Amino acid sequence: MKNSESEYRVEMTGISKSFGVVSVLDGVDFKVKHGEIHALLGENGAGKSTLVKILSGVHQKDTGKIVLNGEEINPKNTHEGQVLGISVVYQELSLVNDLSVAENIYLHKLGASKFWMNWKEITKNAQELIDSLGFKIDASATVRDLSIVQKQVVEIAKALSEDTKVLVLDEPTTVFDPTDTQKLFENLFKLKEKGISIIYISHHLEEIIKIADSVTVLRDGVDTGSMAVSETDTDGIIHLMIGRELKDLYPTRNVEIGKEPIFEVKNLTAKDTLVHDVSFSVRPGEVLGIAGLGGSGRTETAKLIFGADKKKSGTILLNGKEINTNTPVSAVGHQIGFVSEDRKEEGVFLPLSIRRNISVTSFDSISNKCGFINVNNEYKNVLGLIEKLNVKTPSSEIDVKNLSGGNQQKVALAKWLSIDSKVIIIDEPTRGVDVGAKIEIYNLINEVAKKGVGVVVISSDMPEIMGIADRILVMHEGTFYGELPKEKFSEENILRYSIGEPLK
Amino acid sequence: MALTIKKQLSSPGGVLKFLVKYNTIFIFILLVIFSALISDVFFTSTNLSNLLKQVSGIGIISIGMLIVILTGGIDLSVGSMVALLAVTFAILVNIIVLPLAILITLSIGFALGSVSGYLVAYQKMAPFVATLALMTIARGLGFIYSKGSPITFKTPGGEFMSNFANNSTLGIPNIALVFFLIVILVMVMLRYNVFGRLIIAIGSNEEASRLSGIKVNKYKFLVYAISGALAATAAIIVASRTNLGSPNMGMAWELDAIAAVVIGGASLNGGKGTAINTLMGVLILGLIGNILNLLNVPSYPQQVVKGAIIIFAVLLQRFERK
Repeated sequence: MKNSESEYRVEMTGISKSFGVVSVLDGVDFKVKHGEIHALLGENGAGKSTLVKILSGVHQKDTGKIVLNGEEINPKNTHEGQVLGISVVYQELSLVNDLSVAENIYLHKLGASKFWMNWKEITKNAQELIDSLGFKIDASATVRDLSIVQKQVVEIAKALSEDTKVLVLDEPTTVFDPTDTQKLFENLFKLKEKGISIIYISHHLEEIIKIADSVTVLRDGVDTGSMAVSETDTDGIIHLMIGRELKDLYPTRNVEIGKEPIFEVKNLTAKDTLVHDVSFSVRPGEVLGIAGLGGSGRTETAKLIFGADKKKSGTILLNGKEINTNTPVSAVGHQIGFVSEDRKEEGVFLPLSIRRNISVTSFDSISNKCGFINVNNEYKNVLGLIEKLNVKTPSSEIDVKNLSGGNQQKVALAKWLSIDSKVIIIDEPTRGVDVGAKIEIYNLINEVAKKGVGVVVISSDMPEIMGIADRILVMHEGTFYGELPKEKFSEENILRYSIGEPLK
Repeated sequence: MALTIKKQLSSPGGVLKFLVKYNTIFIFILLVIFSALISDVFFTSTNLSNLLKQVSGIGIISIGMLIVILTGGIDLSVGSMVALLAVTFAILVNIIVLPLAILITLSIGFALGSVSGYLVAYQKMAPFVATLALMTIARGLGFIYSKGSPITFKTPGGEFMSNFANNSTLGIPNIALVFFLIVILVMVMLRYNVFGRLIIAIGSNEEASRLSGIKVNKYKFLVYAISGALAATAAIIVASRTNLGSPNMGMAWELDAIAAVVIGGASLNGGKGTAINTLMGVLILGLIGNILNLLNVPSYPQQVVKGAIIIFAVLLQRFERK
């Protein structure tokens, strides 16, 4: 196979990786040619990010072999990866806010070899680099003052400041508008001509078809094969990505949806975020989906309703009566629950036991006037919920940090079930949750809805939101751009509304 | 199902696990045994009651410190508050009836603590900074009101307090009883009361607490106010014991209180710590001072040993986490 050795720049073979007991990658093969754009696809949690993190040195593989330019490599950290010419632009930005654009771009070189820095030259080089990308950003500006799009451009410039041979882009266009996306693509074509291999991770199939040469699809940590983009189409790729009928994962719903809305939001506008003129209603038993791209204001909308962000104007009605939810305290008082997308930072109390986590919202019902807790009632309540939600734990006294992501999420939900919430807003219900627990959470959502609760689910996982919602509202630039009834559910329709385009 | 889950709580661990888990009590017992072996005087009732009298003041402010630390904060003002409030109490006891003097002193303590609480909870000031400011203000006020010199008790009310503070009931010094009572109250509160549950929740994850509908600011405010009231209690006790209020009292006590809480296994990040372990921390610090005194070790080497014990105790706690 002499031929293949010269043909491929990167050859990852038989890569496996587990975190604890969770197997993320299982014998994955991934090969990228010189000067090609290779799309890496898969649903959330399929293992794409982990695979590139192994390539770049963030994680170390358990088994398998990585070959770069015919030589086996084993990068132990990102610095080693960079030295080998592997640069990654991650989904979550990794810039230092208080430094200038130029300093950020050359951060890895600061203090590396020379004692004195030549600021003028660094700024000049950085400016040239950014100009060559076709974006207008002042290299001496502080990163904190940039827009999110500009920050993303700085990230890309940073990756290119090295002698890059392999460039990995993880969902680079989520924050870009079509013009910026086009500019980025032109840049990628230029890099490709220079012989740089580009690994491109994205959910946007249309983008892939447009720019990629080859595509590899990961599904649940296994690669389902690679092919040239010219040999396939959107349907073919989707088939590889999903690989199973949607109905397997998403339980059928048999809920009678009430007629009168239980919860209404009218012309809600935020004081400090981009959210404006948001109006919607949920009926008892209904699961309302909210979709949209990252940065479109989905989470901010949820936090605004819940009183965690400040409101400027608008009204909220519960059972037809206007209520005030200016703080989370008052929202919870009206039995509105909110499960945050950031489970570890905002959803659960990691160092506390399951019992203490669940009880935190329900002290009114388990304590007397002086605040003394009836421990028997507390156990009854908590153990009942643990059993009902099938939280896998030997006892209620286990600290939540020791649970898996799925079980942590169930605990975060249990908190709101223990106070009989009338409305529950769930932001990214299954982020970082394995497939088994996903199904349980979907069942749970259905069960909650069945009891007449109005459920609002925010998700960036398109198959998920189509699988569980009765109706989908799509956000674009801080407000709802369009509504999709069940008959019109499709990734394409959601995407069109997300980028502010009408349906075809 | 429900019952089986509950029963598994009490599954026994190994001896080593037990020792590591209860390392504070373990160190305490070791120190007691060591002290008893090394000195004949240690187990005399005079010595033990002296020891308890010495630690009661710091002990009470340590309990206040624990409550603040549980929320992830810190209260540096307590030592200076003891000085200011001891002076205040000495002035008050000489001019008004005793119950009123006690009540006003406690209220001033609560009010001063509320200032820290307000700055931390509602003005989002860093606890370190807010209480540092209160620390110098309180110390300064103490000197101003006392004009720099101690104020002695001159009335029957003062005499009553002095007798109370220096006498014992059932062989235990009265002021130690006050300390123990506070420990038990806080212990019960942390374990069985919503207030305790919520401050621990806030300390372990403030944002999650806020998003669970907890009145985070109210509770953060309250812990500093309570810490202030406990500093006032300590001040009354300490002043009564010596029959005077001096602006030099409580020097660096805030540091000893923090040390006691930390030796007791609490996390300065909040969310972890118990009253009983803080009591152990207080007793351990007191014991070290006591035994070194009995051995005639001068005070500077004592400080070195104290520091070493803090490091040792915290290192031992790291095993617990593993």
